[in-house]
Amino acid sequence: MNTTNMSRRKFLKTTSVIGGGLVVGFSMTGCASGKLPIALSEGAFIPNAFLQITPENTVRFYCPRDEMGQGVTTGLGTLIGEELDVHPKDMEIEFSGVHSDYNNPDFGVQATGGSSSLKAHYLHLRQVGANTRALLVDAASKNLGVSVGDIATEDGHIVVAGKRYPYGQFVGTAATMNTSDEAPLKSNTNFRYIGKEFSRVDATVKSTGTAEYGIDIDIPGMHHAVVKRSPVAGAKLKSVDKSKAQNMPGVTDVVEISSGVAVVAEKYWQAKTAAEKLSPVWEEVALAKVDTETVRQDYIAAMKNDDGISDTDEGDVEAGLDTADHIIEAEYWAPYLAHAPLEPMNAVVRIENGEADVWSGTQGIVAARGLVSRFSDIPVEKVRAHNTYLGGAFGRRGTLTHVIEATEVAVATNKPIHLLWSREDDIRNGVYRPASLMKIRAGLKDDGSITAWQAKRVGGNITPKTLENMMPALFPGLGDGTIDFMVGLSRNVFAGWMVDHSSVEGLFEDYDTANKTVDHVTVEHDVPLTFWRSVGHSYTSFAKEGMVDELAEKAGMDPVEFRVKNTQNNPRLNNVIRVAQQRMEKMRPADGHYLGFAAHNSFSTDVAEIAEISIEGNEIKVHKVTCVVDCGIAVNPDIVRAQMEGAVMFGLTAALYGDLDLEKGAFKQSNFHDYPILRMSEAPAVEVIIIDSGTEPTGVGEPGLPPIAPAVASAVFKATGQRLRSLPLKLA
Amino acid sequence: MIEFTLNGKTVRSDDDPSTPLLWVVRDTFKLKGSKFGCGAGLCGACTMHIDGDASRTCITPLSAVAGRNVTTIEGLGTPDDMHPLQEAWVQLSVPQCGYCQSGQIMSAASLLEKNPNPSSTEVDAAMSGNICRCGCYVRIKDAVLQVAGQNLAYNAAEESKA
Repeated sequence: MNTTNMSRRKFLKTTSVIGGGLVVGFSMTGCASGKLPIALSEGAFIPNAFLQITPENTVRFYCPRDEMGQGVTTGLGTLIGEELDVHPKDMEIEFSGVHSDYNNPDFGVQATGGSSSLKAHYLHLRQVGANTRALLVDAASKNLGVSVGDIATEDGHIVVAGKRYPYGQFVGTAATMNTSDEAPLKSNTNFRYIGKEFSRVDATVKSTGTAEYGIDIDIPGMHHAVVKRSPVAGAKLKSVDKSKAQNMPGVTDVVEISSGVAVVAEKYWQAKTAAEKLSPVWEEVALAKVDTETVRQDYIAAMKNDDGISDTDEGDVEAGLDTADHIIEAEYWAPYLAHAPLEPMNAVVRIENGEADVWSGTQGIVAARGLVSRFSDIPVEKVRAHNTYLGGAFGRRGTLTHVIEATEVAVATNKPIHLLWSREDDIRNGVYRPASLMKIRAGLKDDGSITAWQAKRVGGNITPKTLENMMPALFPGLGDGTIDFMVGLSRNVFAGWMVDHSSVEGLFEDYDTANKTVDHVTVEHDVPLTFWRSVGHSYTSFAKEGMVDELAEKAGMDPVEFRVKNTQNNPRLNNVIRVAQQRMEKMRPADGHYLGFAAHNSFSTDVAEIAEISIEGNEIKVHKVTCVVDCGIAVNPDIVRAQMEGAVMFGLTAALYGDLDLEKGAFKQSNFHDYPILRMSEAPAVEVIIIDSGTEPTGVGEPGLPPIAPAVASAVFKATGQRLRSLPLKLA
Repeated sequence: MIEFTLNGKTVRSDDDPSTPLLWVVRDTFKLKGSKFGCGAGLCGACTMHIDGDASRTCITPLSAVAGRNVTTIEGLGTPDDMHPLQEAWVQLSVPQCGYCQSGQIMSAASLLEKNPNPSSTEVDAAMSGNICRCGCYVRIKDAVLQVAGQNLAYNAAEESKA
């Protein structure tokens, strides 16, 4: 896995010198046979490949998705290894380079996100493994003179009459053979690795400081760059006196780039220290007049005065409200949030002899390649993009401004550049989870049925802002004018004609009622927005589950029983709620401890959570969280548990602390002292119950997050009688 | 020129004495296992041992370690010869993104050297300077408690002698 200072091309050449390996790839572009078994020849570079098997029986898996901690190398390695009959721990796993064969089947681009990887590759990579195994079996049959039916496989070996032969022995023959594209897949009952528990394949490198992240890349001649940017997003540099930085020790260059001023030095600390000496003057932009209170007041006004546009309109909401015994209405607020992955943004770019290399841990290495090409005028074919481990991402590493910056600096200075953001840069110059104001008005009958659900959200849109960042990356050949046109089009479309569904997802789907509307009003303040772990669900769950809790109270019903009653049309979520209910009935919280409950479907996975809290002074203390999850087949149950544990902590940070304040267009917070992250002493115990529904797997990276804030809010209501409708949760 | 001991070897650096130790170790001595997270001593990703004490090296100037003994994650154990904490980390699949884990392990190792059998509250207190953004706290704590009380192969006395 660790490709320390070894370029992918060099690595492949080395392999081909060893010679005779088998490379198997499957084109998903739909041409001819759809699969390409290719024998490596001297110096060959064959990018459309997931597997390599050497004569020495080394099995290499080129993992097409990005490892940001979600366990994708283990998960996808398990899928391909299951059908190939090689334990994922016995494979060498490399991050793939850029090629359309490595596209995410769900997205059509080479990107990782949306809790999609296991779902998108479940059959795909198993088929790759199965077809490869079939080739090896055919080759063994030919070489050993036994019939295919007498051949078994296990642990990277052909087994005939109890005798084991390493796969590597047959790769020469296998490379000359044609494969069937319909090799049968194992039945679930024959799984050796899927559904079994073993430690993550990256656990050792990540426990010994030997895993390589983007920040760790160190190449000869490399210089370090630090950028001073405007504290207000979008403000261009007006003027700067470079001399103060220029004369500092180690500084080689001070250059103006699109986002500000870059200071380049032999060492990072020299660049950092010198950059502090600069006092750039920035142009005034509209955002510079905006405070958090401006945003909130604009949203409140829009909620009152603007009907917005329709996302969902089912049944007859007015009629539903007319038949209700009670109508309840409430507004919910969620703030801007930064992702704050622990590894700050960074990129290394080298431009030499008309070719370029870029190293960066990204959620879409193809985008890094596109940006380097675009900002260096080197054709994409001559840009090699190298992915690394990601020191956290959570949606943040889909926006690659740092790659643009590193490219611009490399072009301007003619030096290999390692560019690193500080934590302050990360909190203040990033891309954000949008702030949102949500209103839900619901009709309720005395028997606890919901007669109508009328929801509305006000805020900025995620998709056009993300397009603005992604389009130049994905289409490096398109001119700026065309991109501006398309981004502008998308902005107008989502502001006036149709709803950016990412912004309202999760606001209405889970509960039974024939009458539902969801409306949306776009109010932008030029704050850069993007996906943040669980995207729209990260705030809509808070409003939706909060309202359901209020409805249950009004109906005089237990809030969990109310949810069981109102999810009859949603059997998998209903089952998750009932399993959690049974667990909750057995809980005996200590005196002064209270249980809160919430459930939510996101990314096709259903999760219910029970939070046990107490109130200490004016603080909310979360002691324990029980999480019930149905994600279909749990490919690695331990990783499912880990993702639930992690999402609970991530969600609790947002529920208890997460807040960013705009002041004159700049975010006030800057580091972990004023943008706190949950620490061990504040972390609850987490119990995870996995329901094995046996269906194809759905994602687990995000769905553990949405229920936690409303579960805590529900427990706070039981403890104090206060309905908290603003995030982060603060007691009155 | 400042001289100190790095993972048992005497080293000299002509970096500016105000340079944080983290950057000297990463950029001059090319040991990349210790990480940069905040630059303000708030997250613990940069934790190394200075004479056996877990220290935030993003705010420790080079001048402060003259003549002292610095141990990084690379000096604690290697993939082929892991410290018991690292073994527990692997066994319990503690890491997710993994970026904070060098710092977590260095904090835990320092704790166990001083207090081989800490209570759960003592683990919380010793580890709460280390942020894990992925939220691996449940497992980090389990791994520390699992190792607690074992006779560690590696110990502080050896480290400060070296």
